Amino acid sequence: MKLNERSVAHYATCNSPPDKTGFLWKKGERNPSYHRRWCVLKGNMLFYFEERESREPVGVIVMEGCTVELCDSESEEFAFAVRFDCARARVYKLAADTQVAMESWVKALSRATFDYMRLLVRELERQLEEAQQLSQQSKNKPKKHMTQGGGGGGGGGGRLKPVLSGPPTLQGPQVPPSVSPEEGFLSLGVPGKENGVSWNKPAGLVNGEGGVSGQVWETEGQGDSARPPPIPPRRKTPGGSLESPVSPETGCFSKLHDWYGREVAELRVEWLQSQ
Amino acid sequence: MRFNEKELVFLSRQPSERAAELGMKGPKKGDVMKRRLVKLIVNFLFYFRTDEEEPIGALLLEQCRVEREDNMAFSIAFLDEAERKYLFECDSQEQCLEWIDAIVKASYEFMRKNLVFYRTEIHRLTGKDPLEQYGISDETRFQVNSGFPPLPPPPT
Repeated sequence: MKLNERSVAHYATCNSPPDKTGFLWKKGERNPSYHRRWCVLKGNMLFYFEERESREPVGVIVMEGCTVELCDSESEEFAFAVRFDCARARVYKLAADTQVAMESWVKALSRATFDYMRLLVRELERQLEEAQQLSQQSKNKPKKHMTQGGGGGGGGGGRLKPVLSGPPTLQGPQVPPSVSPEEGFLSLGVPGKENGVSWNKPAGLVNGEGGVSGQVWETEGQGDSARPPPIPPRRKTPGGSLESPVSPETGCFSKLHDWYGREVAELRVEWLQSQ
Repeated sequence: MRFNEKELVFLSRQPSERAAELGMKGPKKGDVMKRRLVKLIVNFLFYFRTDEEEPIGALLLEQCRVEREDNMAFSIAFLDEAERKYLFECDSQEQCLEWIDAIVKASYEFMRKNLVFYRTEIHRLTGKDPLEQYGISDETRFQVNSGFPPLPPPPT
């Protein structure tokens, strides 16, 4: 069976962080004696090199569908084995130099499957959702004009998600579906073409800093939970009159728009300062 | 480079994340588009002749770039030889997008970066490190600054 060997070998030596490295004794595939190998574990791939400085691995063991167990060896003191489930499968016999090293390797190799990582990621994803919901609840105090409610700028209550590469060159970065001022804004990530995630930690506002009229409206207008913001209270004019300079009944939309925008911007500054 | 071929073939028979008959063209100059059964399992893409049980080959999906090529086609290229592209033709635009998405997410590196992100966020919101309970909080691969060239190993 073919394998993209050159690229697999490149993966072994590229700068992605290894899960574990160290010297291990490896029993030969044909030759029964043990050879000292420099081992590099990356994800579910255990690479072994002749020397630490070697540019290319001698080989790789794909750590899927196997169990790692301690074993007795006549010649090696701290031996363990990687045993595969399939029929007529081979057993890789390895040995460390110390008890501590052996235990550390056995632990690392037992967790070297793709599924382990996937489960861990899903678990943390769930924990993050919980933490975000709790955080959202504690911040949902009634505010005059910041009618974000639980919906924020769209369903989901202001969840932060890494900006996924998605279909990388087809469209721009996928903006997280809901963004609310409480959580901060993710700046638009650069779409990563490689199959890794590129995201930016919350830094700056997507819709611009507060104070630009209409911006906050637009955020609120998006998504499922959009509803028109309540009419701001009437404000006393310098002359003492209760009539606002621009009443909601004004026919001039841009004036009204600006007036609302200013009002909201001021409240926003107040709110930010109170945090 | 040696690899445990038999075990990899066994892996190719396991339930897949996604499988379909697609057109596939290799990266070499003479390669032509052929109909293949393509299976995505963990971070490997296996490809079979449509009537055969043993895969022709496997692609490890780490350090690769997936790109939309056309309306219903995508390509996979590996970072060490970016000009050599494997081309895949789908039956619909939707299928094409689904495959691209699935492949992008099928790498260990992708998951690792997500993990670091979630860990950081959970810590920010709760003050707690979620990896502590698993006893893996010190592992290099889960640190926030991982992904940069590794530091020289400490002297043994």
